[in-house]
Amino acid sequence: MKHYVEDDLILYYYGEARNRAAIDQHLASCGECSTAYQEIVSTLAVVGHLEVPERDERYGLEVWQRIRHSLPVQEPPFWMAWLRPALAGAVVLAIGAAFVSGRYWPGRDVPAPQTVAGEDPSGEARERVLSAAIGDHLEQSERALLDFVNTSGDSVDVSDQQLTVADLVDTNRLYRHAAERAGDRTVASVLDELERTLLEIANGPSTMTPAELEAVRARLDAAALLFRVRVLTDEMHEREIAPAQPRKTT
Amino acid sequence: MTVSDVPATVLARARKGDSEAFRELVEQHSRSAFRLAYRMTRNEQDAEDVVQESFLRAYRHLGRFEARSHFGTWLYRIVANCAIEHIRTRLARQNRAPMEPIEKITMPTSESPGPDRLAESSGVRQRVDAALEGLSPLERAAFTLRHDEGRTIDEIGHALGLRRSAAKHAVFRAVKKLRVELRSLRAEG
Repeated sequence: MKHYVEDDLILYYYGEARNRAAIDQHLASCGECSTAYQEIVSTLAVVGHLEVPERDERYGLEVWQRIRHSLPVQEPPFWMAWLRPALAGAVVLAIGAAFVSGRYWPGRDVPAPQTVAGEDPSGEARERVLSAAIGDHLEQSERALLDFVNTSGDSVDVSDQQLTVADLVDTNRLYRHAAERAGDRTVASVLDELERTLLEIANGPSTMTPAELEAVRARLDAAALLFRVRVLTDEMHEREIAPAQPRKTT
Repeated sequence: MTVSDVPATVLARARKGDSEAFRELVEQHSRSAFRLAYRMTRNEQDAEDVVQESFLRAYRHLGRFEARSHFGTWLYRIVANCAIEHIRTRLARQNRAPMEPIEKITMPTSESPGPDRLAESSGVRQRVDAALEGLSPLERAAFTLRHDEGRTIDEIGHALGLRRSAAKHAVFRAVKKLRVELRSLRAEG
């Protein structure tokens, strides 16, 4: 007799099991599964449903009064946001090409020119675009990592997550190189750590045991990677809107 | 959100930065936003904070809102994610203090209490709250959307920006953890 696992019974409870009729029939005849199902039912009955305090019809106006003086500046439309990573990619490529040709960053024996904030407006704009693109990339990476670490089961197929992560590896490498060349050690360090993790996931087994998943989670926790990614995301978005600061040179 | 959506003209004006038009959106959607925020945070003040933050965030990103979507659905997603962040911040502030042990409590045995009566008991409620606090913010959000909001797994994935499998497993993990944490209540009940 084929028994149903807890996951099937939870979906069944919430009316989302695909084979509802078969489970109905099975529960009627299998004491073991019926007991497991009753445990789920009684647990969720104990949890109950939270009673929400009522808000009257004036509530919307109250909320408006509280926020009306704090409305932020609206961000540009979606199509501009879509263009931004493409533009940033072009900027990164241009920086890379300039680096290779030796025109942008001088050789070791040539003294570096002194830069003054505000002297190079196109440089500031380029840096902001790059910060925005790195911020977007970090957000995507955080979502992908969360998606990965939140999978569970006895034997989990993570091939979908691996495809997403593999897409992020190349972009990450591009941004890490740009950060290294610009001497931004903080950004380069987080991107380096992130890249190792992304590679580890992308090249790992497509089916993982709970122990293997737990090992990846433990490594992520130990490196506080998700937290660092989150902090850097915020910093990138702040750089995107803040006035340009003079860069430390290394 | 179940509120019928506002006219496209109001949305178009709000997207151009017309604050009066945005006021209409706030007035129309605040109550449903509060309901979701309260269910997720289980705290009135936190829910108020989430509602305000969500509308400010919505206003900032209104330019990216796709006009063919429903504003209510879009806002729902913002509120859900805002609530998760709020819970994360609250947990970080509490410095991840160990969860209070869920002690056995005495339940009446002379008659079998129904689910409503169980839920009304403040002792039970405290223990349920403690068990829910033990879930990760994502598990808690997914569970709330499934259990209290009656959202399907697909809708939960959409709201939280997760793949279907991740949304499903977040709900599974939540129920399993609650089953373990609330075992003593079940035994007595």
